Amino acid sequence: MVLFLQSLINGFLLGGIYAACAAGFSLAFGVMGIVNLSHGDFVMLGAFVTYWLFVLLGWDPFLTLPITLALLFILGLFLQKLALNRIAGAPPIMSYLLTFGFHLVISSLALRAWTADYRTLNPTYAGLNFNLCGLVLPYSRLATFSLALVLICGLYLFLYRTEMGRAIRATAQDGEMARLLGIRIFKIYAVTFAVSAAITGVAGSLVAQTFVVYPQMGLPFTVTAFCVVVLGGLGYVPGTLFGGLILGIFESLATTYLTAGLSLVLTFLLLLIMLILRPGGVFGKGALE
Amino acid sequence: MGKGQEGKGKRGKDWKRVGVFDKMGKTTEREPEMKMPRNWKRQRSLWRWGVLFSLLPMLFILQGKGEGAEIDFRVGFTVPLTGAFGKDGGLVKDAYVFWKETVNSRGGIEVQGKRYPVDLVFYDDKSEPQTSAKLMEKLITEDRVDLLLGGFGSSQIMAASAVSEKFRYPLTSGAASTLRLFDRGFKYYFSLLGKAPEEVRGCVEILPTLSPTPRRAAIIGANVPFSADAADGFKAYAQKIGLPVVHFELFPMTLGDYNSLLSKVKAKKPDVLLVGSHSLVAIRTVKALKEIDFSPWGVFFSYGPTVPDFVDSLGKDAEYIFAASEWTPNLPYRDDFFGSARDFYGQYVKRYNRSPDFVEAASVAGALIQQQAVRELGLTPPLKDPDREKIMKFLYSKRFDNFYGPIRFAADGANEIHPPLVVQIQAGRPAHVFPPDLAEAKPWFPMKPWKTR
Repeated sequence: MVLFLQSLINGFLLGGIYAACAAGFSLAFGVMGIVNLSHGDFVMLGAFVTYWLFVLLGWDPFLTLPITLALLFILGLFLQKLALNRIAGAPPIMSYLLTFGFHLVISSLALRAWTADYRTLNPTYAGLNFNLCGLVLPYSRLATFSLALVLICGLYLFLYRTEMGRAIRATAQDGEMARLLGIRIFKIYAVTFAVSAAITGVAGSLVAQTFVVYPQMGLPFTVTAFCVVVLGGLGYVPGTLFGGLILGIFESLATTYLTAGLSLVLTFLLLLIMLILRPGGVFGKGALE
Repeated sequence: MGKGQEGKGKRGKDWKRVGVFDKMGKTTEREPEMKMPRNWKRQRSLWRWGVLFSLLPMLFILQGKGEGAEIDFRVGFTVPLTGAFGKDGGLVKDAYVFWKETVNSRGGIEVQGKRYPVDLVFYDDKSEPQTSAKLMEKLITEDRVDLLLGGFGSSQIMAASAVSEKFRYPLTSGAASTLRLFDRGFKYYFSLLGKAPEEVRGCVEILPTLSPTPRRAAIIGANVPFSADAADGFKAYAQKIGLPVVHFELFPMTLGDYNSLLSKVKAKKPDVLLVGSHSLVAIRTVKALKEIDFSPWGVFFSYGPTVPDFVDSLGKDAEYIFAASEWTPNLPYRDDFFGSARDFYGQYVKRYNRSPDFVEAASVAGALIQQQAVRELGLTPPLKDPDREKIMKFLYSKRFDNFYGPIRFAADGANEIHPPLVVQIQAGRPAHVFPPDLAEAKPWFPMKPWKTR
């Protein structure tokens, strides 16, 4: 029983990180229809911002989050203005090609700048944990999970409680109508992609606390984000939280009671079943419904 | 060809065709040239320049080939500089660059009293076996290298060595040891390392010598050729010494979070954890062990902790961790080129400001025995197929002893006399702890629990 609960907790905490990583992916798809194949590289960049601020300036990893947010927001804005706005309205294959190009450029530059070394953050509290009735709860994972929740809730409030958020949602629902109503949709696109990059970067900063940081860590997070948003509903931001939790718990239980190798197979099997039976995600609110 | 003959040539016909002779009414040799129409002058000028420009590159090519042929040994390798094994592959690249620089600082490889510098040609195989094979073929057929060296990783070298075997190039490798490399009947593949299961033998043989003596072991490993073989080796040797294995599991390299996997292992309460690993797996494992507060008496890795990144990444959490190794600088080995193992270590640290890993030492040793082969056989560049066949036979023919230790290749290409070692991270560096007759330090055992550090 203890093992079952421990596995559940492991999956739950992992799921929070997955959800944070996927929220930006879902936002970009929901508003602009962009499947961002460079998404994981924003996770990697966020992780490196935190790593270098920690190593070079001695900042606590959690204090680096605003810096990551700002830097990745600017990067997202730049990429949107530079390239993505030019393919607005083009067939989806254009966004695949362009964002895959971003992936190649960003990961190659990161590799050149930072080499393939594996790096980890070692603040004084790294790996510390407390024991609750035989269950081990790592502090950094708990903090990361809590911040991931705050991030997703913040994004939800931004989208549903602010003028800009309403404009973004209006653009997502019907771009042409939004334009007729006076919304400058290219500005909305720019802000959306920038926000997507910023929150993904922050998720990367959180990831750096528990995962190994290296230039090519990004691609698996793109795949994970894709799985999460399919489970939660492609383009439905609140669904990512549940998608992330489902994926995390599913992976953890499969690893514990079957094998780690089978857990990945079963995860993709789950993805396939979802796409066939509930393409709109568990809530049926995704864009594919 | 004289002037008279020129007039009978095509050029003479052209003069007549443009009517120069007819207009002038003279037949001197100079006049037609002086009165040549402009377009002809331009044509002739263009023709001359055309010939010149078409010949120039050929001259450069011939000159280049000539220089390379007479002066340099072109030595090629493919190595992962990106991808899952990018860090480990970078070590092997550093090793070969160090060897080349050392050789060239002494004027090159000495053959029959003349010195031939080394020119390295290498490519990033991106940790992809098929890319490694493709690039190996490019090295042989396009770059026309004289000698080949092995990169990093069993899968990559498995693919690359199939190509080198086809073209009959000896390939010395210091960073691959999966069993499958040795059961193919290849004649041109030489491994400076022992076979993967053999490499971890020391990590199991040390267990009965420790106090308290471990009574239960758990074995996990990444499901890629070397790590999986190492995990199998752990299991086979554990059975041999009668140590019960309470858990055995292989997992994919793509697994990013080890907490659930190790929670499951923790629940089975093993005394020691044996891990078939590369450096990324080793780092992830130690992080997860600490997070889930799992402190077995000892944790042993097949590979990873000897890579400098391991200690850099984990800091004090790296202490007490054991690893299999094949070389340490305290060993009593030496040669005429680098001097002792300690001398090699000192030169390496001076060059890179870090300690060499054992795969770096093994890779350099591979290059060194090929260097010895061309020198003793009196082979000069460019090498031909029969020369490489001689090198292959030479490598099988004798035992080598250099700073890396004893080397003798079995019929399957494995180094059959190199002893497996065990190191442990003590005070921030890998200390040689087994076998005891060669060891520089006593093992720290049992591992201090995470909570009391």
